[in-house]
Amino acid sequence: MALFKLRKCHPREDDHSVMLPELETHPEAQVVRLHPDDSIEALKPFLGNLSLIILNFPVFRDGRAFTQARALREYEHYRGEIRVEGHILPDQAEFLKQCGVDTVVLPEGSDVTLWEEQLKRFSFSYQETFFSKTPSVGA
Amino acid sequence: MKRLSRPGPGETLLLTATRLLDGRIVWRDAAGIWQEHVGKAAQMTLEEAEPALEKAQETAVSQGVMGVYVVLAHEGHPPQPVTMKEHIRAFGPSVHPEFAYSSTSLSQSEASS
Amino acid sequence: MTKSVGHYNYEPKDKAFLQERIAEFEEQVERRLKGTLSEEEFKPLRLMNGLYLQVHAYMLRVAIPYGVLDSRQLRKLAHIARRYDRGYGHFTTRQNIQFNWISLEDAPAILRDLAEADMHAIQTSGNCIRNVTSDEYAGAAKDELMDPRVHAEILRQWSTLHPEFTFLPRKFKIAISGSPEDRVAARFHDIGILARPGENGPLFRIFVGGGLGRTPVVGQELFDGVPEEELLATLEATLRVYNAFGRRDNLYRSRIKILVQTIGVDAFREAVKAELEKMDISHYRLTKEKVAAIRARFAAPTLDAPDGGTATLAEQMQRDSVFARWVKSNIHAHFDERYCIATVSLKSPGEIPGDVTDRQMDGLADLADRYAFGEIRITHLQNVVFGHVRKDQLYDVWQGLMALGLGAANIGLAGDIVSCPGLDYCSLANARSLPLAQKLGSRFGDMELQAEIGAMSINISGCINACGHHHAGHIGILGVDKRGKEFYQILIGGQAGEEAAIGAILGPALTEDETVEAISRMIDHYLSHRDIGESFLQTLHRLGKAPFKEVAYGSV
Repeated sequence: MALFKLRKCHPREDDHSVMLPELETHPEAQVVRLHPDDSIEALKPFLGNLSLIILNFPVFRDGRAFTQARALREYEHYRGEIRVEGHILPDQAEFLKQCGVDTVVLPEGSDVTLWEEQLKRFSFSYQETFFSKTPSVGA
Repeated sequence: MKRLSRPGPGETLLLTATRLLDGRIVWRDAAGIWQEHVGKAAQMTLEEAEPALEKAQETAVSQGVMGVYVVLAHEGHPPQPVTMKEHIRAFGPSVHPEFAYSSTSLSQSEASS
Repeated sequence: MTKSVGHYNYEPKDKAFLQERIAEFEEQVERRLKGTLSEEEFKPLRLMNGLYLQVHAYMLRVAIPYGVLDSRQLRKLAHIARRYDRGYGHFTTRQNIQFNWISLEDAPAILRDLAEADMHAIQTSGNCIRNVTSDEYAGAAKDELMDPRVHAEILRQWSTLHPEFTFLPRKFKIAISGSPEDRVAARFHDIGILARPGENGPLFRIFVGGGLGRTPVVGQELFDGVPEEELLATLEATLRVYNAFGRRDNLYRSRIKILVQTIGVDAFREAVKAELEKMDISHYRLTKEKVAAIRARFAAPTLDAPDGGTATLAEQMQRDSVFARWVKSNIHAHFDERYCIATVSLKSPGEIPGDVTDRQMDGLADLADRYAFGEIRITHLQNVVFGHVRKDQLYDVWQGLMALGLGAANIGLAGDIVSCPGLDYCSLANARSLPLAQKLGSRFGDMELQAEIGAMSINISGCINACGHHHAGHIGILGVDKRGKEFYQILIGGQAGEEAAIGAILGPALTEDETVEAISRMIDHYLSHRDIGESFLQTLHRLGKAPFKEVAYGSV
C-alpha cells in the first residue's frame, strides 16, 4: 500500500482498525474506518483514543469525506491523523489538504509526481479554511 | 447493455461515435475506419452490426473515438437516420443550414483542419 | 489602467490564479489524450472548466459573473467566436455565453485568451457552485434598495474552487438581487438571496430549495435578516448540510430542493442552525473591512449629463414613432433622472434567441464605450443591457443598434422568447426548441402587434431539465420525444418574481406547427376577452385556464 503525505506528518499503521458501529464494543480502538454516511457526532465519545480516522471515497465524485474531515477538525478539534482511501484523483489533493486530511492511500498505478505537482499548483485559495494558503475573502 | 433490435424492411443499422479530439460525430465504414460523412457509413444487418459494435468498442480508444453505438436508419445514399436526434447528428443543426454536413462542407472542414 | 465600471477589477493574484488553473486544465487535457484519465474521470474535471461534450462538438460555456462585462471582455468573446468557433456565441439564461463548435485541443488556448481579459469558464458546469447570477439593472435601477454586485463578487470568490463544495451531490445555483422586484427569480434557485440595507449594514433574506427542472419547486424562506457578517457562515452551513445529506444515489433526486422537500424546510433550517452552532463563527465572519476591500475594486460611473435630456428625448420620440415604440418597451427607469437603462433585445423576429455574431459583439462593445461607460450586462432572459445611458444620447444608441440589427422593440413582450439550444445542439434534449422560437418570433414579429398584446413571456425548453425555464413562462413550452418524433407540451400561468408560480400543463402534446397555431389562438382569445388594461396573466387568472385550453385544442 502506497501512502501519500499531504503535509508533514508521521502516518501510523492501519492495523486493528474497526468500523464505526464496532467502536461500542471496542472502545479502546485507535483506528476507525468511516463510511461516507457515518456521522461525526457518533464518533465523539471515542475521539480521545483515536489516532487514525480513515475516510472513504466510493467514487471520486462523492465529496462527503470533505465535509467529514472538516467536521473532525473544526467541530471536534481532532488532532490525530485523517486518511482517505478509495477512488481519489490527484486533482483533489489540494482540496483534501485544505479540509484537514493528512494522508492518502494511493490507488493502484498512481503517479506520485501528479500528486506532488498538484500541491504546488495554486499560490493561494479564495476561502479561509483552517489549513488554507494565503486566504482572500475569508481573511 | 441494451440489446439491438432487428431493423425492419428498408431499414439498416449504422455505427456512430464521437471523436475525442474535437467532438466531431463520426460513422464507421465497411473497412472499420471512422468517417465524417454519414454517406460513407457501412449499412448493416443485425447479424453484421453485433460483432462490428463489439469490435468498434474494443478499438475505440486506439482509434481516438468514444461513445460508440448503433443507429437505426432508412436505407439509402446517404442513409436517413430514423429519429430526429440522429437526423440532426447525421446532417447538422436544422437552424444553421450553413453548417450542414453536406459533402461540400465536409471537404471544406477537412481542408481547414 | 482605468478601472472597469460595474464589476470587480482583478488584482495580480486573481490573474495568477487563472494562469495556475489553466495550467492545471492543460495537464488534465494531456492526461486525457494520453489515455491516463478515462472519460469518466475527465468529464467532471472538464465540466468544472465549462467544457461540455455536445451533439456536434465540444461546447465551452464562459462565465460572466453576475452578468457584467466590460467592452474589452466583449471584444475578447468576439475574438473567441471568430478564431475558435463559427463567428457567433449564444447567451444563456444564466447570464453566461456558450460557444458551440469547440475542439478539445483548442480549449486551453481559448482559456488563455480569455484570461487576458480576466475571464474564465470555471464552474459554469459540474456538481459545484455555479456562476452567481444577479440583477441586470443592478446599481442603476430607480427601484433598487442596494447594489448586490459587491456581494455577488464575494460569493464568486468564496465559491471558486471551494475545497469542501466542489464535489456536491449535484449542481448548485445561487442568485442575488437588491431590488424589491426580484429580477433574478430568487425563488427558482437552490439559494436565492434578496439583499436590503439595514441600520448596521446590509441584511439578507435567503430562500432555499427552489428550482425548475424535472421537479419544479418554488423556494422557501430559510432565514430573513441575516446580517452581512454572517452571510458566508450561513451559506457555508447550508452547503455543509446539503453536501452531507443530499442524495447521491439518484441523479433526479439529488438537488437541494429534494432534500428540503423530503425533510421539510423547518427541519432543514434546524439542521443549518445546528451546524452554525458548532462552527467557529469568527472564522467565517465577513467583516466590513473585507467587504470594503472588494468594493474598492469596483468602479462606479461618474454620472454627468446636461439638463434637458428628458425634453430632448421627448422631442425625438415625437418625431420618430419607431424609436418611441422602442423606448416604451426597452427602457427602464434609472435612479438619476438624466439617465435611463436600455435593454438591447437579442430576439429580433425570426432570429435565434440569445445568439450574437462576432460583428454584433464588437458593435455592442463600441456602443458601450461611447455611450455606457464601457459596461455591458447580460440578462437571464438572454438580452443585453446598457446600465447608464444619457437620455439625450439614447437616440444615437438606438440608431447604432438598428445598424447592428439589434433594434427590436419587444422587451417583456411576446417576441422576447427565452429558449434553450434544444436538440439542434444539446445532447440532453428531446426536441428542438430553436425552430419553434424562430416561428413564434416571426408570428408575433410585428412590433405593433407585440405592443398591443402587452406583457408576455414565452419560455421554451427542449427537455425536462428546463434550461428554457418553461415552468416560469406565462406560456411555457416543453419539447418531448415520442418514438423519435418531436412534440410539444404547452403550460400556462407560470411566472418568476414576487408572485412566483409554476405553469400548469394545458393538455396533450402537439406538433411544432400545431403549437404555434394553438398559442396564436390563445393570444387571440386573450385580446378579445380582456378587460381594459388587463394583462394576459390577469385575464388568465380571471377566466381560468379552461377557455384557453378550449381554443388551443379547438381546431386541432
